[in-house]
Amino acid sequence: MATTSQGSIKRFGIGRILEHQANALVFAILVITGLSQRFHEYQVSQWIIHSLGGVDFTRIVHRLAGFLFAVLIVVHVAAGVYGVVRKRWPASMMVNLSDFRDAMQNMRYYFGITNHPALCDRYDYKQKFEYWGVIAGGFLMITTGLILWFPVPFAQFLPGEFIPAAKAAHSNEALLAFLVIITWHIYNAVFSPEVFPLDTAIFTGRISRERMVHEHPRELARIENVPVEEIITHHRGPAGGKTDAEE
Amino acid sequence: MGVRRGAYRWFVALAAACLLAAAPSPAAEKATDAPEGCLGCHGQKGLFFTFQNGEKLGVFVDAAKFQESQHRTLPCTACHSEFSEQDHPQRVFKNREHYASSSSTVCRRCHPDEQLRKSPVHAALLSGGKRSPVCTSCHNPHTIASVTKGAKFVSENELCMRCHKQALTATLRNGARIPLTVDTRILDGSVHAKLACFDCHFGFSSSQHPKRNFSSPRDFSIAQAEACRRCHFDKYTKNLESIHYEILSSGNLNAPVCTDCHGSHAVMQARADKLTSSKRCGKCHQEIFATYTSSVHGTALLQESNTDVPICADCHTAHTILEAHSRNYLEKVPEICGKCHGDATLMKKYGLYPGVVNSYLQDFHGVTLKSYQRQQADASAGPSRKDIATCVDCHGVHDITKTSGPTTNLVKARLMKRCQKCHPGATESYPDAWLSHYEPSLKNAPLVFLINLMYKLFIPFMLIGLILQILLHIWRYAVNR
Repeated sequence: MATTSQGSIKRFGIGRILEHQANALVFAILVITGLSQRFHEYQVSQWIIHSLGGVDFTRIVHRLAGFLFAVLIVVHVAAGVYGVVRKRWPASMMVNLSDFRDAMQNMRYYFGITNHPALCDRYDYKQKFEYWGVIAGGFLMITTGLILWFPVPFAQFLPGEFIPAAKAAHSNEALLAFLVIITWHIYNAVFSPEVFPLDTAIFTGRISRERMVHEHPRELARIENVPVEEIITHHRGPAGGKTDAEE
Repeated sequence: MGVRRGAYRWFVALAAACLLAAAPSPAAEKATDAPEGCLGCHGQKGLFFTFQNGEKLGVFVDAAKFQESQHRTLPCTACHSEFSEQDHPQRVFKNREHYASSSSTVCRRCHPDEQLRKSPVHAALLSGGKRSPVCTSCHNPHTIASVTKGAKFVSENELCMRCHKQALTATLRNGARIPLTVDTRILDGSVHAKLACFDCHFGFSSSQHPKRNFSSPRDFSIAQAEACRRCHFDKYTKNLESIHYEILSSGNLNAPVCTDCHGSHAVMQARADKLTSSKRCGKCHQEIFATYTSSVHGTALLQESNTDVPICADCHTAHTILEAHSRNYLEKVPEICGKCHGDATLMKKYGLYPGVVNSYLQDFHGVTLKSYQRQQADASAGPSRKDIATCVDCHGVHDITKTSGPTTNLVKARLMKRCQKCHPGATESYPDAWLSHYEPSLKNAPLVFLINLMYKLFIPFMLIGLILQILLHIWRYAVNR
């Protein structure tokens, strides 16, 4: 998986790249067609619904996109479980104690208590937070979405109140997901000074060695088969304090 | 041809007769004497003739007015031929009409039918039945003048009323007779009190009285209702969009026109009185009106004279009455009910919750309906609109009931039935998906309430946390530089 060329390291295969792009597209469609129904009183929502040819067609588009989203999530999880269990893929997405330690370390670093950020592995705690947010939120959205799509069969074994409850959860969770994506994800992938103007890793599948040193030093150490301390020391220089070549 | 020429000829004939009468002759000498003899008694007020039915007729003749009349050269006995200086026979009449009809035969001695037929009004009266007015109904024989020529009327209406206060009728082509009598008290009490007859009766004037030719009374009413357009053009055009006009133009002449609801001479503001207004619709829509009167609104109107309640026109409008089963109309229902049920002050008066309309509009069905209306307004509306449940589906249409008390179960049954219409297979718990206009709370729909509350706290918490992280990250980056 990891091969070095021209100072960059391969991070994602074509499958993961396409998966992200498909997710992004489906998510955008779901947000546009869904939130315009939640915020139906706003002019822009009305314009969207109207341009799509009315609320009925908007709902068809939303449900179709929801179905694709469900397929993406389910296939991803199934493939992930299969890969980890049968093919011995490294379970690099699992949350573990070091993620909490990394988060605390970074907090200390931000406040200037310590002089180096956390040394993260293939996925740092921010990425895991987003990933599990999508998985957990995704399953919530799929379940509540299905209840809203097929209220009659669900009401046969659920109390009727579950339908408006599903609606409340679905639309609130959607709003939360949308807000997290446009603040946190877009900041980290676009506006963060470390990646600005764009983190191209998910488009090219490659990441510079330089960024690997800062963001995923433990993974880099494993790839280059050296202790992580060596990577850090080498990059920081013997003085150890101030950072790198970015100025 | 009209009254004018007919009357003119009549006038010429009369004038000629007068000239002849004025020629010096023994008869003429006698004629000038005779009135004085009669006027010795009849020139005094207070003399009466009593009919068999006890009714009294004044027999006073105003000599001064008679001297100005067309008949001034005639001796009394020319018309009152039974009487002479010597003879004053005792006569017997049943009543005033009996006297009038018998005395009017006298006029025909000088004014033959051929002369009378030249005037359309007279011609119509000649062919009229027994009850039609006679000469003296319109023309006072002692002050006789041409109806139009030389007559001094206070108003044009007075001119018309000279004849139309009488029991006149007209025969239409289908043989039906319509009354032409106008009750001035009704007219003066109407909102049109200040209008002249000619303002509505086009073609008629002080000099014109054209002969009209209608096939039936309905034909006449429909044609006459067109007169309203002249002043009430806005209402007229609104009516053109209505179901009533559609039915009328499809050939059903029973569909109402202006005058059917507003009356003709008794025209009044339709809104003036809610009960009268709704009863007017009930004239044709009897069954619906009966249903309405037993509804919560109808009962309040009829039994408590409560005018807060809606009447027919409040929901169906007065003029742009839409087809009640049309999508366009049904989709307006929440808006229509919301006019009152969304009014907080009005609802407070009856202890009703004013949020009912909004709770509907914010829900799935309401959002769909609103969207349909916008599509409709844009005219690019797709034909594939679904049949959306609205207020009336559960609360009733004309039989709207209270939601509390003994009718609660009726409303619930309607809800269940309505759910199943679009959601086949809906079971007993299904209608609970509709929170019955209640805002979610710990008591009503606690699950929905708690989910909303949780997100209300969690979304800002999450967002503020993430933004703080971002700010810290930027700050650390800036410090490191």
